[in-house]
Amino acid sequence: MANKTHDGDVAFIRALAELLRENDLTELQVKRDYGADDSLNVRVSRQMQMVQSAPAPAMHAAPAPISGPAAADAAPAPAPSVDPAQDPNAVTSPMVGTAYLQPEPGTPSFVAVGDKVAEGQTLMIIEAMKTMNQIPSPKSGTVKRILVEDGAPVEFGAPLMIIE
Amino acid sequence: MAEATRIAPDLAGPEWILALNQTAARGRRGRHWAMPEGSFAASLVMRPGGGPAQAALRSFVASLALREAFLAVGVPAGAIRLKWPNDVLLNGGKVAGILLESLGSAQGVSHLVIGIGVNLAAAPDRSMVEPGALTPVSLRDETGLQITPEAFLGPLAAAFDRIERQFVTYGFAPIRTEWLSHAARLGDTITARTAREQTTGVFETVDEAGSIVLETSRGRRVIPAAEIYF
Repeated sequence: MANKTHDGDVAFIRALAELLRENDLTELQVKRDYGADDSLNVRVSRQMQMVQSAPAPAMHAAPAPISGPAAADAAPAPAPSVDPAQDPNAVTSPMVGTAYLQPEPGTPSFVAVGDKVAEGQTLMIIEAMKTMNQIPSPKSGTVKRILVEDGAPVEFGAPLMIIE
Repeated sequence: MAEATRIAPDLAGPEWILALNQTAARGRRGRHWAMPEGSFAASLVMRPGGGPAQAALRSFVASLALREAFLAVGVPAGAIRLKWPNDVLLNGGKVAGILLESLGSAQGVSHLVIGIGVNLAAAPDRSMVEPGALTPVSLRDETGLQITPEAFLGPLAAAFDRIERQFVTYGFAPIRTEWLSHAARLGDTITARTAREQTTGVFETVDEAGSIVLETSRGRRVIPAAEIYF
């Protein structure tokens, strides 16, 4: 794909993500036909908050993590849609806040993909109101995926890591 | 604070630890925190129960307690304002800082460490703080009051204990109302800066979860973690 088209696609996806957020939608799917066998199929979705156990948390207008780029697919085939939030091995966020993967800026991350972790070991920090909350591993296992970036906002119930 | 965090699992809590000298002072996310001689530096270690979202609301409990401690040692009420989430301002300058750390177990928050630093005798040099941050001030320079760290701990611990009981008994609502009545720049245009972005808007309120609410040109924004600039 030419770079120009790629940039255009990225801008398009970003616009959809914005639309999603502004209108408080959870999912948006659009297919754009460029030619006979050239199309762009985009699905942008936000974390579902309401599937979490009661009591439901207050809804926040802070930007939810957008799983945009991962759901974008330039091929006509629909993108695979395995929702990490539904993964039984997902460690989910107990609160809204900002995620930090390192104890302090410039220090090594708490864990990396492939690391073996013990139950109770700190995986990351989530900050809210100048409170640094250490997020412990709910069980012993191996870090399979890290689903948030350093400094990214997270919602209540958002999947943070997959520990298997 | 590192020492308090280290020994936290062995404490039944709540327990105050007063540092006579600080060797590894730190601010939020690696920010510098200087402690001139005569400053107050203490950590409270407690076992709060509840989840981390609830634990984080101690930011407001702690800043209200700090405000009361200042009043108890003779600071006029009108001189003190609170900056979201937990800074205490004296005559508009930063006189104290609070940082909280919760230690988790798989079952929830096991311990909460609340680190409190107060410039009692002298303020760090203006050049030590980052651009845009509030000017550091000290209690002595602003008011002429000379209070030792030991003398400050008593009223602070008593105030925290009282407000903490109120929080546990009645929930966040009365704490929120009280905090808002002392809030700095409520109704003014302020900027909230996170690791990723910057949001400028009118400081409308603090919501029931403790997040700051800004009314911006692009709508209402609810922000749980940020540095506030004004």
